[in-house]
Amino acid sequence: MGTDRCAYLSRLRRVDPIPKVWFALAALLICVLSDSLGVGLFTLAALSALNLALGGQRAGDLLRFLKIPLAFLVIGCLTIAIRPIGEAEALWAFRLLGRWNWGITAENLRLSLLVCGKAMGAVSAVYFLSMNTPMTDLTLALERLHVPKLFVELTELIYRFIFLLAGEAGRIRTAQESRLGYQGFRRSLGSMGELLSTVFVRSLRRGERVFSALESRGYTGTLTTLPGQYVPGRWLYGLAAATAACQLLILLAERRLLP
Amino acid sequence: MSCAIEVKDLTYAYPDGTPALQGVSFGAEQGEVTGILGSNGAGKSTLFLNLNGVLTPQGGQVLLDGEPVSYARRNLPELRRRVGLVFQDPDDQLFSADVYRDISFGAVNLGLPETEVRRRVEDAMTRTGVSALRDKPTHALSYGQKKRVAIAGVLVMEPSVMILDEPTAGLDPQGVSGIMSLLRDIRKSLGVTIILATHDMDIVPLYCDRVYLLSGGRMAAQGTPEEVFRRPELLRENHLRLPRIAHLMEILRDRDGVDVNRGAATISAARQEILRLLDGER
Repeated sequence: MGTDRCAYLSRLRRVDPIPKVWFALAALLICVLSDSLGVGLFTLAALSALNLALGGQRAGDLLRFLKIPLAFLVIGCLTIAIRPIGEAEALWAFRLLGRWNWGITAENLRLSLLVCGKAMGAVSAVYFLSMNTPMTDLTLALERLHVPKLFVELTELIYRFIFLLAGEAGRIRTAQESRLGYQGFRRSLGSMGELLSTVFVRSLRRGERVFSALESRGYTGTLTTLPGQYVPGRWLYGLAAATAACQLLILLAERRLLP
Repeated sequence: MSCAIEVKDLTYAYPDGTPALQGVSFGAEQGEVTGILGSNGAGKSTLFLNLNGVLTPQGGQVLLDGEPVSYARRNLPELRRRVGLVFQDPDDQLFSADVYRDISFGAVNLGLPETEVRRRVEDAMTRTGVSALRDKPTHALSYGQKKRVAIAGVLVMEPSVMILDEPTAGLDPQGVSGIMSLLRDIRKSLGVTIILATHDMDIVPLYCDRVYLLSGGRMAAQGTPEEVFRRPELLRENHLRLPRIAHLMEILRDRDGVDVNRGAATISAARQEILRLLDGER
Protein backbone atom coordinates (compact mmCIF):
# COMPACT_ATOMS: atom_id res chain seq x y z
CA MET A 1 0.00 0.00 0.00
CA GLY A 2 2.73 2.43 -0.97
CA THR A 3 0.70 5.35 -2.28
CA ASP A 4 -1.58 5.15 0.72
CA ARG A 5 1.28 5.65 3.14
CA CYS A 6 2.25 8.82 1.26
CA ALA A 7 -1.34 10.05 1.47
CA TYR A 8 -1.28 10.19 5.27
CA LEU A 9 1.81 12.42 5.15
CA SER A 10 0.60 14.61 2.30
CA ARG A 11 0.18 18.33 2.80
CA LEU A 12 -3.21 17.98 1.12
CA ARG A 13 -4.24 15.29 3.65
CA ARG A 14 -6.88 17.48 5.30
CA VAL A 15 -8.23 19.03 2.11
CA ASP A 16 -11.78 18.07 1.22
CA PRO A 17 -11.50 14.97 -1.00
CA ILE A 18 -14.23 15.93 -3.47
CA PRO A 19 -12.34 18.79 -5.18
CA LYS A 20 -9.32 16.50 -5.34
CA VAL A 21 -11.39 13.82 -7.07
CA TRP A 22 -12.81 16.28 -9.60
CA PHE A 23 -9.43 17.86 -10.27
CA ALA A 24 -7.74 14.51 -10.94
CA LEU A 25 -10.72 13.22 -12.90
CA ALA A 26 -10.90 16.29 -15.16
CA ALA A 27 -7.19 16.15 -15.96
CA LEU A 28 -7.44 12.40 -16.60
CA LEU A 29 -10.47 12.61 -18.88
CA ILE A 30 -9.10 15.45 -21.02
CA CYS A 31 -5.78 13.63 -21.27
CA VAL A 32 -7.40 10.40 -22.41
CA LEU A 33 -10.02 11.91 -24.71
CA SER A 34 -7.80 14.45 -26.46
CA ASP A 35 -5.76 11.73 -28.16
CA SER A 36 -2.60 13.77 -28.31
CA LEU A 37 0.97 13.04 -27.29
CA GLY A 38 1.54 16.66 -26.34
CA VAL A 39 -1.41 16.73 -23.95
CA GLY A 40 -0.32 13.42 -22.44
CA LEU A 41 3.20 14.66 -21.78
CA PHE A 42 1.90 17.97 -20.42
CA THR A 43 -0.49 16.16 -18.05
CA LEU A 44 2.36 13.92 -16.89
CA ALA A 45 4.63 16.90 -16.24
CA ALA A 46 1.99 19.20 -14.74
CA LEU A 47 0.33 16.73 -12.37
CA SER A 48 3.63 15.27 -11.24
CA ALA A 49 4.93 18.78 -10.52
CA LEU A 50 1.73 19.67 -8.63
CA ASN A 51 1.94 16.40 -6.74
CA LEU A 52 5.42 17.34 -5.53
CA ALA A 53 4.73 21.04 -5.01
CA LEU A 54 1.28 20.93 -3.40
CA GLY A 55 1.35 17.51 -1.77
CA GLY A 56 4.94 17.82 -0.59
CA GLN A 57 5.74 14.33 -1.84
CA ARG A 58 9.31 13.27 -2.41
CA ALA A 59 10.39 13.06 -6.04
CA GLY A 60 11.99 9.66 -5.37
CA ASP A 61 8.68 8.20 -4.20
CA LEU A 62 6.80 9.53 -7.21
CA LEU A 63 9.42 8.21 -9.66
CA ARG A 64 9.29 4.82 -7.98
CA PHE A 65 5.51 4.69 -8.40
CA LEU A 66 5.65 5.97 -11.99
CA LYS A 67 8.12 3.21 -12.89
CA ILE A 68 5.61 0.48 -12.01
CA PRO A 69 3.16 1.09 -14.90
CA LEU A 70 6.02 2.17 -17.16
CA ALA A 71 7.38 -1.38 -17.27
CA PHE A 72 4.05 -2.72 -18.58
CA LEU A 73 3.62 0.22 -20.93
CA VAL A 74 7.01 -0.19 -22.57
CA ILE A 75 6.25 -3.81 -23.40
CA GLY A 76 2.78 -2.90 -24.65
CA CYS A 77 4.02 -0.02 -26.78
CA LEU A 78 6.84 -2.06 -28.29
CA THR A 79 4.26 -4.51 -29.61
CA ILE A 80 2.37 -1.60 -31.15
CA ALA A 81 5.52 -0.15 -32.71
CA ILE A 82 6.98 -3.38 -34.05
CA ARG A 83 4.42 -5.25 -36.16
CA PRO A 84 3.99 -6.96 -39.51
CA ILE A 85 4.08 -4.09 -42.01
CA GLY A 86 3.62 -5.77 -45.41
CA GLU A 87 5.17 -3.62 -48.11
CA ALA A 88 4.73 -0.29 -46.33
CA GLU A 89 7.65 2.10 -46.08
CA ALA A 90 9.51 1.28 -42.88
CA LEU A 91 11.89 3.18 -40.65
CA TRP A 92 13.42 -0.11 -39.74
CA ALA A 93 12.45 -3.62 -40.82
CA PHE A 94 13.49 -7.22 -40.65
CA ARG A 95 12.26 -10.54 -42.06
CA LEU A 96 10.68 -12.79 -39.44
CA LEU A 97 11.70 -16.43 -40.11
CA GLY A 98 12.69 -15.29 -43.60
CA ARG A 99 9.07 -14.85 -44.72
CA TRP A 100 7.17 -12.04 -42.97
CA ASN A 101 8.17 -8.45 -43.20
CA TRP A 102 8.15 -6.90 -39.71
CA GLY A 103 9.27 -3.46 -38.66
CA ILE A 104 8.49 0.03 -37.49
CA THR A 105 6.63 2.49 -39.67
CA ALA A 106 6.34 6.18 -38.91
CA GLU A 107 2.62 5.76 -38.30
CA ASN A 108 3.05 2.87 -35.86
CA LEU A 109 5.81 4.71 -34.01
CA ARG A 110 3.56 7.76 -33.65
CA LEU A 111 0.74 5.55 -32.37
CA SER A 112 2.87 3.77 -29.82
CA LEU A 113 4.30 7.04 -28.46
CA LEU A 114 0.76 8.43 -28.29
CA VAL A 115 -0.49 5.46 -26.27
CA CYS A 116 2.50 5.66 -23.96
CA GLY A 117 2.16 9.42 -23.41
CA LYS A 118 -1.58 9.26 -22.86
CA ALA A 119 -1.30 6.41 -20.40
CA MET A 120 1.47 8.05 -18.38
CA GLY A 121 -0.51 11.29 -18.26
CA ALA A 122 -3.54 9.43 -16.96
CA VAL A 123 -1.42 7.53 -14.43
CA SER A 124 0.07 10.75 -13.08
CA ALA A 125 -3.45 12.12 -12.55
CA VAL A 126 -4.41 8.98 -10.64
CA TYR A 127 -1.25 9.24 -8.55
CA PHE A 128 -2.02 12.86 -7.75
CA LEU A 129 -5.29 11.67 -6.25
CA SER A 130 -4.07 8.54 -4.51
CA MET A 131 -0.85 10.01 -3.09
CA ASN A 132 -2.75 12.90 -1.51
CA THR A 133 -6.03 11.30 -0.45
CA PRO A 134 -6.19 8.54 2.18
CA MET A 135 -8.40 5.63 1.21
CA THR A 136 -10.96 6.47 3.91
CA ASP A 137 -11.41 9.99 2.50
CA LEU A 138 -11.75 8.58 -0.98
CA THR A 139 -14.53 6.19 0.03
CA LEU A 140 -16.24 9.04 1.86
CA ALA A 141 -16.04 11.16 -1.29
CA LEU A 142 -17.58 8.28 -3.25
CA GLU A 143 -20.42 8.17 -0.76
CA ARG A 144 -21.02 11.90 -1.10
CA LEU A 145 -21.01 11.47 -4.86
CA HIS A 146 -23.91 9.01 -4.43
CA VAL A 147 -22.10 5.75 -5.12
CA PRO A 148 -24.29 3.00 -3.54
CA LYS A 149 -23.73 2.79 0.21
CA LEU A 150 -23.34 -0.99 0.23
CA PHE A 151 -20.42 -0.73 -2.18
CA VAL A 152 -18.78 2.07 -0.17
CA GLU A 153 -19.15 0.28 3.17
CA LEU A 154 -17.77 -2.96 1.76
CA THR A 155 -14.78 -1.09 0.39
CA GLU A 156 -14.15 0.51 3.77
CA LEU A 157 -14.42 -2.76 5.69
CA ILE A 158 -12.21 -4.59 3.19
CA TYR A 159 -9.63 -1.83 3.41
CA ARG A 160 -9.65 -1.96 7.21
CA PHE A 161 -9.46 -5.71 7.58
CA ILE A 162 -7.14 -6.55 4.71
CA PHE A 163 -4.23 -5.36 6.84
CA LEU A 164 -5.26 -7.65 9.69
CA LEU A 165 -5.73 -10.63 7.38
CA ALA A 166 -2.42 -9.99 5.66
CA GLY A 167 -0.69 -9.77 9.03
CA GLU A 168 -2.32 -12.97 10.18
CA ALA A 169 -1.43 -14.80 6.96
CA GLY A 170 2.15 -13.57 7.31
CA ARG A 171 2.43 -14.91 10.87
CA ILE A 172 0.97 -18.27 9.87
CA ARG A 173 3.40 -18.48 6.97
CA THR A 174 6.34 -17.74 9.26
CA ALA A 175 5.12 -20.40 11.69
CA GLN A 176 4.84 -22.91 8.85
CA GLU A 177 8.23 -22.01 7.44
CA SER A 178 9.85 -22.38 10.85
CA ARG A 179 8.67 -25.99 10.76
CA LEU A 180 9.90 -26.54 7.17
CA GLY A 181 6.42 -26.27 5.65
CA TYR A 182 7.59 -24.88 2.33
CA GLN A 183 10.27 -27.34 1.26
CA GLY A 184 9.43 -28.80 -2.09
CA PHE A 185 6.55 -28.07 -4.43
CA ARG A 186 4.04 -30.59 -3.05
CA ARG A 187 4.56 -29.60 0.55
CA SER A 188 4.34 -25.93 -0.36
CA LEU A 189 0.99 -26.48 -2.01
CA GLY A 190 -0.33 -28.34 1.03
CA SER A 191 0.92 -25.68 3.46
CA MET A 192 -0.50 -22.90 1.31
CA GLY A 193 -3.89 -24.63 1.27
CA GLU A 194 -3.91 -24.93 5.04
CA LEU A 195 -2.88 -21.31 5.40
CA LEU A 196 -5.76 -20.17 3.22
CA SER A 197 -8.36 -22.28 5.01
CA THR A 198 -7.13 -21.12 8.42
CA VAL A 199 -7.24 -17.47 7.39
CA PHE A 200 -10.74 -18.01 6.02
CA VAL A 201 -12.06 -19.64 9.19
CA ARG A 202 -10.45 -17.02 11.38
CA SER A 203 -11.91 -14.19 9.36
CA LEU A 204 -15.37 -15.73 9.68
CA ARG A 205 -14.98 -15.79 13.46
CA ARG A 206 -13.61 -12.28 13.48
CA GLY A 207 -16.58 -11.19 11.39
CA GLU A 208 -18.91 -12.42 14.12
CA ARG A 209 -16.99 -10.56 16.81
CA VAL A 210 -16.84 -7.38 14.75
CA PHE A 211 -20.60 -7.57 14.27
CA SER A 212 -21.16 -7.93 18.03
CA ALA A 213 -18.91 -4.94 18.64
CA LEU A 214 -20.80 -2.87 16.08
CA GLU A 215 -24.11 -3.80 17.67
CA SER A 216 -22.86 -2.85 21.11
CA ARG A 217 -22.17 0.65 19.77
CA GLY A 218 -25.68 1.02 18.40
CA TYR A 219 -25.25 -0.25 14.82
CA THR A 220 -28.50 0.31 12.96
CA GLY A 221 -27.66 -1.12 9.56
CA THR A 222 -25.36 1.56 8.19
CA LEU A 223 -21.79 2.41 9.07
CA THR A 224 -22.41 6.14 9.22
CA THR A 225 -19.57 8.12 10.76
CA LEU A 226 -18.47 11.71 10.91
CA PRO A 227 -15.12 12.54 9.32
CA GLY A 228 -12.65 14.97 10.82
CA GLN A 229 -13.06 18.53 9.63
CA TYR A 230 -11.69 19.16 6.14
CA VAL A 231 -9.97 22.25 4.83
CA PRO A 232 -12.18 23.46 1.98
CA GLY A 233 -10.51 22.86 -1.37
CA ARG A 234 -12.42 25.15 -3.72
CA TRP A 235 -9.16 26.58 -5.04
CA LEU A 236 -8.58 23.17 -6.61
CA TYR A 237 -11.47 23.88 -8.99
CA GLY A 238 -9.59 26.95 -10.22
CA LEU A 239 -6.49 24.83 -10.63
CA ALA A 240 -8.55 22.25 -12.51
CA ALA A 241 -9.83 24.94 -14.90
CA ALA A 242 -6.31 26.28 -15.47
CA THR A 243 -4.95 22.79 -16.13
CA ALA A 244 -7.81 22.02 -18.50
CA ALA A 245 -7.20 25.30 -20.36
CA CYS A 246 -3.52 24.47 -20.83
CA GLN A 247 -4.38 20.95 -21.97
CA LEU A 248 -6.88 22.25 -24.54
CA LEU A 249 -4.47 24.96 -25.79
CA ILE A 250 -1.81 22.32 -26.38
CA LEU A 251 -4.36 20.17 -28.16
CA LEU A 252 -5.41 23.02 -30.43
CA ALA A 253 -1.80 23.98 -31.12
CA GLU A 254 -0.96 20.41 -32.03
CA ARG A 255 -3.91 20.21 -34.42
CA ARG A 256 -2.72 23.53 -35.91
CA LEU A 257 -6.03 25.17 -35.20
CA LEU A 258 -4.33 28.15 -33.65
CA PRO A 259 -2.80 30.84 -35.84
CA MET B 1 -24.57 3.46 48.18
CA SER B 2 -26.76 2.62 45.22
CA CYS B 3 -26.15 0.06 42.54
CA ALA B 4 -25.58 1.55 39.09
CA ILE B 5 -26.22 -1.86 37.64
CA GLU B 6 -27.62 -4.88 39.39
CA VAL B 7 -28.09 -8.35 37.98
CA LYS B 8 -30.46 -10.88 39.47
CA ASP B 9 -30.46 -14.58 38.56
CA LEU B 10 -29.40 -13.99 34.99
CA THR B 11 -29.50 -17.10 32.80
CA TYR B 12 -28.37 -17.55 29.24
CA ALA B 13 -27.78 -20.60 27.06
CA TYR B 14 -26.24 -20.61 23.61
CA PRO B 15 -28.48 -21.50 20.66
CA ASP B 16 -27.03 -25.04 20.67
CA GLY B 17 -28.28 -25.48 24.25
CA THR B 18 -24.95 -25.11 26.07
CA PRO B 19 -25.69 -23.25 29.29
CA ALA B 20 -23.36 -20.27 29.71
CA LEU B 21 -24.89 -18.33 32.62
CA GLN B 22 -26.84 -20.22 35.27
CA GLY B 23 -28.27 -17.65 37.61
CA VAL B 24 -25.66 -14.92 37.87
CA SER B 25 -26.33 -12.24 40.48
CA PHE B 26 -24.11 -9.28 41.19
CA GLY B 27 -24.14 -5.55 41.62
CA ALA B 28 -21.78 -2.72 40.74
CA GLU B 29 -21.92 0.33 43.00
CA GLN B 30 -22.24 3.78 41.44
CA GLY B 31 -18.79 5.18 40.67
CA GLU B 32 -16.83 2.12 41.80
CA VAL B 33 -14.59 -0.29 39.93
CA THR B 34 -15.96 -3.82 40.07
CA GLY B 35 -13.75 -6.70 38.97
CA ILE B 36 -15.12 -9.91 37.54
CA LEU B 37 -12.60 -12.72 37.94
CA GLY B 38 -12.95 -16.02 36.20
CA SER B 39 -11.03 -18.55 34.15
CA ASN B 40 -11.34 -18.83 30.40
CA GLY B 41 -14.81 -20.03 29.51
CA ALA B 42 -16.34 -19.01 32.84
CA GLY B 43 -18.87 -16.90 30.98
CA LYS B 44 -17.46 -13.39 31.44
CA SER B 45 -17.81 -12.31 27.82
CA THR B 46 -21.30 -13.81 27.56
CA LEU B 47 -22.34 -11.97 30.70
CA PHE B 48 -21.09 -8.67 29.26
CA LEU B 49 -22.86 -9.16 25.95
CA ASN B 50 -26.07 -9.76 27.92
CA LEU B 51 -25.63 -6.58 29.95
CA ASN B 52 -25.24 -4.48 26.81
CA GLY B 53 -28.13 -6.06 24.95
CA VAL B 54 -26.17 -7.76 22.17
CA LEU B 55 -27.47 -11.01 23.65
CA THR B 56 -30.86 -11.24 25.36
CA PRO B 57 -31.02 -12.97 28.75
CA GLN B 58 -33.33 -15.96 28.92
CA GLY B 59 -34.11 -15.50 32.56
CA GLY B 60 -33.54 -13.13 35.45
CA GLN B 61 -33.41 -9.40 35.59
CA VAL B 62 -31.02 -6.51 35.02
CA LEU B 63 -31.59 -3.25 36.90
CA LEU B 64 -30.02 0.03 35.84
CA ASP B 65 -30.19 2.66 38.60
CA GLY B 66 -32.85 0.50 40.21
CA GLU B 67 -35.07 0.36 37.11
CA PRO B 68 -35.60 -3.01 35.42
CA VAL B 69 -34.14 -3.07 31.91
CA SER B 70 -36.39 -3.96 29.00
CA TYR B 71 -34.78 -5.90 26.17
CA ALA B 72 -37.52 -4.85 23.76
CA ARG B 73 -36.11 -3.85 20.39
CA ARG B 74 -36.93 -0.18 20.69
CA ASN B 75 -35.25 0.01 24.08
CA LEU B 76 -31.92 -1.46 22.95
CA PRO B 77 -30.33 1.80 21.69
CA GLU B 78 -30.87 3.39 25.10
CA LEU B 79 -29.46 0.32 26.88
CA ARG B 80 -26.37 0.37 24.64
CA ARG B 81 -25.88 4.05 25.27
CA ARG B 82 -26.01 3.64 29.05
CA VAL B 83 -23.90 0.49 29.22
CA GLY B 84 -20.76 0.82 27.10
CA LEU B 85 -18.76 -2.25 26.18
CA VAL B 86 -15.04 -2.27 25.32
CA PHE B 87 -14.03 -5.53 23.67
CA GLN B 88 -10.87 -7.40 24.50
CA ASP B 89 -9.34 -7.21 21.04
CA PRO B 90 -9.42 -3.62 19.74
CA ASP B 91 -9.09 -4.99 16.22
CA ASP B 92 -12.58 -6.45 16.65
CA GLN B 93 -13.98 -3.13 17.71
CA LEU B 94 -12.29 -0.66 15.36
CA PHE B 95 -14.00 -1.14 12.02
CA SER B 96 -12.84 2.04 10.32
CA ALA B 97 -9.36 2.76 9.07
CA ASP B 98 -9.82 6.37 10.17
CA VAL B 99 -9.38 7.01 13.89
CA TYR B 100 -11.66 10.06 14.05
CA ARG B 101 -14.46 8.41 12.10
CA ASP B 102 -14.31 5.26 14.21
CA ILE B 103 -14.62 7.21 17.44
CA SER B 104 -17.58 9.19 16.03
CA PHE B 105 -19.57 6.02 15.17
CA GLY B 106 -21.39 5.55 18.51
CA ALA B 107 -22.27 9.24 18.80
CA VAL B 108 -23.57 9.36 15.22
CA ASN B 109 -25.75 6.34 15.98
CA LEU B 110 -27.34 8.25 18.85
CA GLY B 111 -28.64 10.72 16.28
CA LEU B 112 -26.84 13.70 17.84
CA PRO B 113 -26.30 16.94 15.89
CA GLU B 114 -22.92 17.32 14.20
CA THR B 115 -21.54 19.94 16.59
CA GLU B 116 -22.36 17.72 19.57
CA VAL B 117 -20.74 14.69 17.91
CA ARG B 118 -17.59 16.73 17.24
CA ARG B 119 -17.51 18.02 20.81
CA ARG B 120 -17.80 14.50 22.19
CA VAL B 121 -15.19 13.07 19.84
CA GLU B 122 -12.71 15.80 20.77
CA ASP B 123 -13.47 15.31 24.45
CA ALA B 124 -13.05 11.52 24.26
CA MET B 125 -9.80 11.89 22.31
CA THR B 126 -8.40 14.30 24.89
CA ARG B 127 -9.40 12.09 27.81
CA THR B 128 -7.86 8.97 26.29
CA GLY B 129 -4.80 10.80 24.99
CA VAL B 130 -5.23 9.92 21.33
CA SER B 131 -5.66 13.43 19.88
CA ALA B 132 -2.25 13.19 18.24
CA LEU B 133 -3.28 10.01 16.41
CA ARG B 134 -6.16 11.55 14.48
CA ASP B 135 -4.23 11.73 11.21
CA LYS B 136 -2.99 8.17 11.37
CA PRO B 137 -4.76 5.15 9.91
CA THR B 138 -5.95 2.53 12.40
CA HIS B 139 -3.58 -0.11 11.03
CA ALA B 140 -0.56 2.06 11.84
CA LEU B 141 -1.37 2.23 15.58
CA SER B 142 0.21 0.11 18.28
CA TYR B 143 -1.93 -2.32 20.25
CA GLY B 144 -2.10 -0.01 23.26
CA GLN B 145 -3.04 2.96 21.09
CA LYS B 146 -5.81 0.92 19.47
CA LYS B 147 -7.08 0.05 22.92
CA ARG B 148 -7.28 3.73 23.83
CA VAL B 149 -9.11 4.52 20.61
CA ALA B 150 -11.57 1.70 21.40
CA ILE B 151 -12.20 3.22 24.84
CA ALA B 152 -12.71 6.66 23.24
CA GLY B 153 -15.23 5.10 20.85
CA VAL B 154 -17.30 4.00 23.84
CA LEU B 155 -16.84 7.23 25.83
CA VAL B 156 -18.50 9.30 23.08
CA MET B 157 -21.77 7.61 23.96
CA GLU B 158 -21.36 9.00 27.51
CA PRO B 159 -22.28 5.75 29.23
CA SER B 160 -23.06 5.57 32.92
CA VAL B 161 -21.56 2.07 33.14
CA MET B 162 -18.47 1.05 31.19
CA ILE B 163 -17.62 -2.63 30.88
CA LEU B 164 -14.15 -3.66 29.78
CA ASP B 165 -13.27 -7.21 28.80
CA GLU B 166 -9.64 -7.92 29.74
CA PRO B 167 -8.47 -4.30 29.37
CA THR B 168 -4.85 -5.16 30.15
CA ALA B 169 -4.44 -8.30 28.01
CA GLY B 170 -1.61 -8.04 25.53
CA LEU B 171 -0.14 -4.82 26.92
CA ASP B 172 3.38 -4.31 28.21
CA PRO B 173 3.75 -3.41 31.92
CA GLN B 174 3.79 0.33 31.29
CA GLY B 175 0.85 -0.03 28.92
CA VAL B 176 -1.05 -1.77 31.71
CA SER B 177 -0.50 1.02 34.21
CA GLY B 178 -1.26 3.58 31.50
CA ILE B 179 -4.65 2.04 30.71
CA MET B 180 -5.49 1.49 34.37
CA SER B 181 -4.71 5.06 35.36
CA LEU B 182 -6.74 6.22 32.37
CA LEU B 183 -9.69 4.24 33.73
CA ARG B 184 -9.15 5.74 37.16
CA ASP B 185 -9.22 9.25 35.65
CA ILE B 186 -12.40 8.47 33.74
CA ARG B 187 -14.06 7.21 36.88
CA LYS B 188 -12.94 10.21 38.89
CA SER B 189 -13.84 12.91 36.37
CA LEU B 190 -16.98 11.43 34.84
CA GLY B 191 -18.23 9.27 37.71
CA VAL B 192 -18.58 6.33 35.35
CA THR B 193 -19.15 2.97 37.00
CA ILE B 194 -16.54 0.56 35.72
CA ILE B 195 -16.80 -3.21 35.45
CA LEU B 196 -13.77 -5.10 34.24
CA ALA B 197 -13.01 -8.72 33.59
CA THR B 198 -9.44 -9.72 34.18
CA HIS B 199 -6.96 -12.54 34.70
CA ASP B 200 -4.31 -10.13 35.84
CA MET B 201 -4.51 -10.76 39.58
CA ASP B 202 -1.90 -8.18 40.50
CA ILE B 203 -4.00 -5.25 39.29
CA VAL B 204 -7.09 -6.38 41.20
CA PRO B 205 -6.09 -5.12 44.68
CA LEU B 206 -4.75 -1.89 43.16
CA TYR B 207 -7.77 -0.83 41.14
CA CYS B 208 -10.87 -2.79 42.14
CA ASP B 209 -13.19 -1.74 44.96
CA ARG B 210 -15.11 -4.97 44.83
CA VAL B 211 -14.64 -8.30 43.08
CA TYR B 212 -16.79 -11.20 42.02
CA LEU B 213 -15.57 -14.65 41.09
CA LEU B 214 -17.47 -16.13 38.18
CA SER B 215 -17.28 -19.90 37.92
CA GLY B 216 -19.28 -22.24 35.72
CA GLY B 217 -21.90 -19.60 34.97
CA ARG B 218 -22.44 -18.61 38.63
CA MET B 219 -20.89 -16.18 41.06
CA ALA B 220 -18.76 -18.35 43.36
CA ALA B 221 -17.52 -15.58 45.64
CA GLN B 222 -17.78 -11.86 46.20
CA GLY B 223 -16.37 -9.19 48.43
CA THR B 224 -13.59 -6.67 48.65
CA PRO B 225 -10.33 -7.87 47.06
CA GLU B 226 -8.96 -8.46 50.57
CA GLU B 227 -11.88 -10.70 51.49
CA VAL B 228 -11.61 -12.76 48.32
CA PHE B 229 -7.84 -13.15 48.70
CA ARG B 230 -8.40 -14.74 52.10
CA ARG B 231 -9.81 -17.73 50.21
CA PRO B 232 -6.90 -18.76 47.98
CA GLU B 233 -8.16 -22.34 47.56
CA LEU B 234 -11.27 -21.01 45.78
CA LEU B 235 -9.15 -18.98 43.38
CA ARG B 236 -6.94 -21.97 42.64
CA GLU B 237 -9.93 -24.21 41.95
CA ASN B 238 -10.86 -21.68 39.29
CA HIS B 239 -7.45 -21.67 37.56
CA LEU B 240 -6.60 -18.33 39.10
CA ARG B 241 -4.00 -17.44 41.68
CA LEU B 242 -3.34 -14.97 44.45
CA PRO B 243 -1.56 -11.72 43.64
CA ARG B 244 2.19 -12.27 44.17
CA ILE B 245 2.29 -10.21 47.33
CA ALA B 246 -0.75 -11.97 48.85
CA HIS B 247 0.92 -15.29 48.00
CA LEU B 248 4.03 -14.18 49.86
CA MET B 249 1.85 -13.27 52.87
CA GLU B 250 0.17 -16.68 52.70
CA ILE B 251 3.53 -18.48 52.75
CA LEU B 252 4.86 -16.31 55.58
CA ARG B 253 1.79 -17.03 57.64
CA ASP B 254 1.20 -20.73 56.90
CA ARG B 255 4.75 -22.06 56.53
CA ASP B 256 6.82 -19.68 58.56
CA GLY B 257 4.28 -18.95 61.26
CA VAL B 258 4.70 -15.18 60.95
CA ASP B 259 1.72 -13.16 62.14
CA VAL B 260 0.91 -11.21 58.95
CA ASN B 261 -2.40 -10.16 57.46
CA ARG B 262 -2.98 -12.48 54.53
CA GLY B 263 -5.29 -9.95 52.92
CA ALA B 264 -2.32 -7.65 52.25
CA ALA B 265 -2.04 -7.83 48.48
CA THR B 266 -0.35 -4.64 47.38
CA ILE B 267 3.13 -3.30 47.87
CA SER B 268 1.90 -0.58 50.22
CA ALA B 269 -0.11 -3.06 52.32
CA ALA B 270 2.90 -5.38 52.51
CA ARG B 271 5.13 -2.47 53.49
CA GLN B 272 2.78 -1.63 56.35
CA GLU B 273 2.82 -5.24 57.53
CA ILE B 274 6.60 -5.40 57.43
CA LEU B 275 6.95 -2.12 59.32
CA ARG B 276 4.43 -3.33 61.89
CA LEU B 277 6.39 -6.54 62.43
CA LEU B 278 9.68 -4.65 62.71
CA ASP B 279 8.11 -2.30 65.24
CA GLY B 280 6.97 -5.27 67.31
CA GLU B 281 10.54 -6.62 67.42
CA ARG B 282 12.08 -3.39 68.59
